[in-house]
Amino acid sequence: MSQSLQQRNTRSLLTWLPLVMLAGSVFFYLMLIGHIRHMKHQQLQLKQNNFWNAYALDTVHVPKILTGEYNIAPGATKQDAEADSANLAYMLQTHQLNGRSYTVATYISAKEYRHLLIKAGTAEAIIFIVLLFAIIIINRSTSRKLWTPFYSTMKAIRGYDIRHNKPFPVDATTGIEEFDQLNKTLRALIDNVDQAYRNQKQFTENASHELQTPLAIIRSKVELLIESPNLTEDNAQLLQEITEANERLSQMNKNLLLLTRIENSQFPETIPIALSELLERQSHFFKEYYENEVAATSTTIQPDIMITANPALIEILVNNLLRNAYIHNIPGGWVDVRLTPGTLIIKNSGPPIEGDPGQLFERFRKGRVDNRTTSLGLALVRQIAQLYHFEIRYTYQEGVHQLQISFA
Amino acid sequence: MKLLVIEDEPSLLTSITRYFRQEQFLCEGVTTYNDALQRIEDSPYDCIILDINLPGGSGLQLLKYLREDKKKDGVIIISARNSLDDKIMGLDYGADDYLTKPFHLPELSARVKALIRRKYAGGNTSIDLDTLHIDLAARTATIEGQAVALSKIEYDLLLFLVTNKNRVVSRQAIAEHLYDGPADQAPGPEFVYSHIKNLKKKLKEKGAPEIIQTVYGLGYKLVV
Repeated sequence: MSQSLQQRNTRSLLTWLPLVMLAGSVFFYLMLIGHIRHMKHQQLQLKQNNFWNAYALDTVHVPKILTGEYNIAPGATKQDAEADSANLAYMLQTHQLNGRSYTVATYISAKEYRHLLIKAGTAEAIIFIVLLFAIIIINRSTSRKLWTPFYSTMKAIRGYDIRHNKPFPVDATTGIEEFDQLNKTLRALIDNVDQAYRNQKQFTENASHELQTPLAIIRSKVELLIESPNLTEDNAQLLQEITEANERLSQMNKNLLLLTRIENSQFPETIPIALSELLERQSHFFKEYYENEVAATSTTIQPDIMITANPALIEILVNNLLRNAYIHNIPGGWVDVRLTPGTLIIKNSGPPIEGDPGQLFERFRKGRVDNRTTSLGLALVRQIAQLYHFEIRYTYQEGVHQLQISFA
Repeated sequence: MKLLVIEDEPSLLTSITRYFRQEQFLCEGVTTYNDALQRIEDSPYDCIILDINLPGGSGLQLLKYLREDKKKDGVIIISARNSLDDKIMGLDYGADDYLTKPFHLPELSARVKALIRRKYAGGNTSIDLDTLHIDLAARTATIEGQAVALSKIEYDLLLFLVTNKNRVVSRQAIAEHLYDGPADQAPGPEFVYSHIKNLKKKLKEKGAPEIIQTVYGLGYKLVV
């Protein structure tokens, strides 16, 4: 599972910092105990020396016992009477005086030292906890600030679309070297990709453009040839096939050029178009043109519906949809055109398409082997619809194809 | 009729000039801007077929020069650039018509003849072929005075064949001609035959001779 950088960072701080601090506390505690023991020892030793020296100088007047301070007893004793008191620390040492052994016990209060240990330990714990939180908070806020350029770069990448022909909006002066480098690298990468994409599109356009001349030459030569007076039926058949192939090539090339030009956004001018009139005129033409094949055409076109777009492109869109409805039909079939505000629905009778309907709008995809279409018509429709954010829906049910376009 | 074809592609140029010479046009062809300028200055033409992309200059420049010089030569632009802007600009500069490449020769021929007709008709806008009479203004056809009820498509078809009389017109050329939108969006030629069939039937009903011939699978020819 992925975590954000901040989560990951906080989690590792929360895992390792308490461990480090715990180890530090233990070390501190041990040091403190060591120091306290040393201090106790020093103090007891000082008392031993002082009291013994005092006693040795004057055994008569210096008392043998001073409760809480010292106790001098003859002989070498290992145990001390008052030693069990928890509040006292003591030291036993054996001294020699005039050939006799004395055991001297000195006492100091252990209470203060214990208090010191507790207070110092508590203070240390509080400091460590405050420190832990402070470190995490500071870390989070600085990393949030630190990573801001990264997030804005991410946003720029997400918003980038190579087809839109817009510059990549990243700043190479974030003040952080790594991010500057990242942005510079990204920009170089995108510039390269952009350039390659543009070249590719330019190439397609140029190629289609250049192809037009030889295609036009072939066409004109064939047109001269078909008038040759001693043309045999056999040769006419060959010429017919050449013409058909050449016309298909020509049509394909034109559509390809058109697709590329739409992709290259070479149809920028948009004006209000009387869609109702255009549709009326076009469906009238198609109805008449195909009247011998498709028996019935019905149109329900609401008047005065306008659409703002490029007139050439809208004509191509309408044309391709209508043409498709007539071509992919059955003998004696029907076509129904309906225009309401915001929606154009074209229905027609026809055999079911083969393959995946989702791929209907792909380039060079064909339902049937049919030399009447260049299989770019619907790709053009989709390209135009995408350009203007129209929604296309295709359905097929019981011999009826329906194409619906929703204008936003 | 005197024609000047300005087209930088020599092979296409010879196709065009040959096509027009077969119809007894006086047809000259040039491939460069300077040659074209020379010819235009030397003599007037009934119609100039003008390509836009030329070595040495733009066809639009030539057109501008022509119109600034108050020359009345009819001009049909033929251009590979199929954009609305070019078309509008061409017509603004004073071109009489605009045809996008690649075009069909019968289409170009029909445009040229229509232009010349407009130029010299002087109110007489009709065509007579034998017993067939076509009124261009009213868009009607009559045979020996009897009106032939033609649909728009059939009328356009008849006029196209009449304009290209005695020539073979391919089905593709007809299909593109019949469509009144941009030529590259025209429907396919597969159903042209059914319109021809209807037209033939209607002409026959009015007692016209069989003037429309089918040339194998290639196309049709109106013979007089």
